[in-house]
Amino acid sequence: MNVRKAFGAPLTALAIVVAGGAVAMWLSGVNPLDGFAALVAGSLGGTGELSETLVQTGALLFPALAVALAFRGGLFNIGAEGQLLVGGLAAGAIGATYGGLPVFGILAMLCASALAGGMWGALAGVLRAKFEASEIITTLMLNSIAFYVASYFVGGPLHSPLASGAETAPLPANLWLPLLVPGTRLSIALLLALALAAALQFLLARTVFGFDLRAAGDAPEPARRNGVDLPRITIVALALSGAIAGLGGGTLVTGALHRFNTALSPGYGYTAIAVALVADLNPLWICAAAFGFGMLESGGLAMQAQAQVPKDVIHAIEGVIVLVLAARRFVATRVEQRV
Amino acid sequence: MRGIRKAFGAVTAVDGVDLELRGGEIQALVGENGAGKSTLAAIAFGALRPDAGTVERRGTVGLVHQHFELIERMRVWENIVIGREPRRGVRIDTDAAKRAVRELAARNGLDVDPDAIVESLPVAMKQRVELLRELERRPAVLLLDEPTAALAPAEVAAFFATIVALARAGTAVLVVTHKLQEVLDYADTVSVMRRGKIVAHFASRGVALDEIARTMVGGELPKVAARASTAPVPRVRVAHLRAESGDNAVRDVSFEVRGGEIVAVAGVEGNGQTSLADALAGVLPYEGSIEGADARGVIPQDRLREGLVPSWSVTENVALGRQHARARRGALLDRRGVLQAARAIVERYDVRAPSVDARVATLSGGNQQKLVVGRALLDDPAFVVAYQPTRGIDVGAAALVQSRLMEARNAGAAVLLISFDLDEVFALADRILVLYRGRIAGTFAREDADRAKIGRLMAGGT
Repeated sequence: MNVRKAFGAPLTALAIVVAGGAVAMWLSGVNPLDGFAALVAGSLGGTGELSETLVQTGALLFPALAVALAFRGGLFNIGAEGQLLVGGLAAGAIGATYGGLPVFGILAMLCASALAGGMWGALAGVLRAKFEASEIITTLMLNSIAFYVASYFVGGPLHSPLASGAETAPLPANLWLPLLVPGTRLSIALLLALALAAALQFLLARTVFGFDLRAAGDAPEPARRNGVDLPRITIVALALSGAIAGLGGGTLVTGALHRFNTALSPGYGYTAIAVALVADLNPLWICAAAFGFGMLESGGLAMQAQAQVPKDVIHAIEGVIVLVLAARRFVATRVEQRV
Repeated sequence: MRGIRKAFGAVTAVDGVDLELRGGEIQALVGENGAGKSTLAAIAFGALRPDAGTVERRGTVGLVHQHFELIERMRVWENIVIGREPRRGVRIDTDAAKRAVRELAARNGLDVDPDAIVESLPVAMKQRVELLRELERRPAVLLLDEPTAALAPAEVAAFFATIVALARAGTAVLVVTHKLQEVLDYADTVSVMRRGKIVAHFASRGVALDEIARTMVGGELPKVAARASTAPVPRVRVAHLRAESGDNAVRDVSFEVRGGEIVAVAGVEGNGQTSLADALAGVLPYEGSIEGADARGVIPQDRLREGLVPSWSVTENVALGRQHARARRGALLDRRGVLQAARAIVERYDVRAPSVDARVATLSGGNQQKLVVGRALLDDPAFVVAYQPTRGIDVGAAALVQSRLMEARNAGAAVLLISFDLDEVFALADRILVLYRGRIAGTFAREDADRAKIGRLMAGGT
């Protein structure tokens, strides 16, 4: 494969995204150059900006890895958002009531978040494996259920009298995840996410479970006939996927927000689907894609504040990215078929 | 077609071929796996663009694929009229469509149920649907890629009766095939391909089968391994087996397969073979008992839909099915072991792939089959289930596959061969069971197997 082939497509894609973004900004009466300058400055322009971008990267990485794991097994987990939310709720519940050693407190919160998210995912897995209920529908519906369950808890049993809105009491500072860069929100959650990406890559490439999972995703019938227990894979994969997303929710509570409320995620679980697909469901590429989307999340605020780019335009740019990459896949498939 | 050339990467599949198809003539195109036949057919059809050369067509071209291209979840009539549905306003005129399909089927002597869902049909029926779909377009040129690979002898005759009638009515027919006897029986002329070139062109009247075969392989024919004398030992015992998948069922079947013998199940497709094979392979629930079949190697009926993951490499496919046994080390895959095994299979089974990292989907059918067989026999299984192990592969590859099965038997394996091909049954079997409507209609030892009698039992006679 020559260099042009290897890099040409992504560069073309990037060019289209930039052009699409420029048109959207121009249409909304903003000078595109100002907009992009604000985006770059706001996401990479200083320690604070870069840290915030990395916070967003980490926040997207957990659900994106969760989505990728399930998708590789042929399971369309659209429910990372809900799994993330119940994970955050579990962490927040423990954080609000915990009174022991801080180290164990943080661990307990993270474990509880993974467990809660895992159970949320496993529920969809069991429904699929035992009753053939489409996981696309169930995971999506479970998102709504997660939201209302969480709303109930923060409005009722876990509601803090100190808080202004519906949220749990703030965590004591000793239950916060250690920071990577003092004075920012960037915690070791990012390292955890990167380690998880490496672990997922290893799981898929080297383990028997990963092998079975990929076989189930790529060719279910040959897989079934060659010793892959499809119902078991379905349940375990959705449970693991949910656990990763739930853990992401837990790290947001202990690492960034330091309390739980239902606005914990501005849709990370949905954006994560785009992140995972853009990266071809490859865990290492997902790290790069999460950084790119993280830039938009953090730099978007600057675009809004400094260049007066409407938030909707930023969403439109995200949309263009997804569209372009989906088209790239389509073109790739077409080329392959012609051979 | 003139001066046709087509390369895939470094491999030149078709290398300067001239080919002419005439209306009213059946031309056969033969050659080993990977000789370039399917590629040439795809170019003639227009599915592939040649790198060089010109293709001239008069009228439409129909292609019946080796791997059926049907929409499995739709009904027979829907598959046939697809793209040309008769309409009533904006709606499909269902009655007219079904009527047209029935008439088309009757006119060509191809009996099908228009309302059947394609995925529930046996292979022979699917092929019939595929042919009907092409005939519906009244093609001037009809290309058939391995059309009889899955058909029983009687079905082959019926199929070619249709094709001959079409040719006599003026259609130009090109048959890509491995079955040389069919070439002699039905084709008017035969072109032989080897390594991307047409190396010979015969009138099929007056040419000997051996001569075509030798031209194909470019030398002497490989021989099937000799049958060694063995002392069979009890191994697999099947008692009162009942199993059902779709409309394919075995009803109360009992037999034994001993170590050191090949037991062949002869029969026309659709008499319970699929259920029997799936029950023995452990992928279909059953009643009754199967003993001694745990250490098994399975050669499935359909290599692509059941045996292999097409988008994976040769190496990864060699691990498939063995990932919970020999190919694992604790929770990890034994990557080095799998790589060695893949190289050993490629070597021992002459699997022609650019490398063991090549995607299986890019290999020719014969090479895929050799890979499946190699994997099934890799760990010296005590019991082998081989379902149509030489389906759609060339004489050289078929001889190799049959030899490896015979060698497994000679080394003490219990082999159950399920085949619709009586030649294969007689070449390999120590004992023959005839399966008819899910029951065993007769059992014969090799020495006193009577071909005529077996043929009658297969058809439900006595």
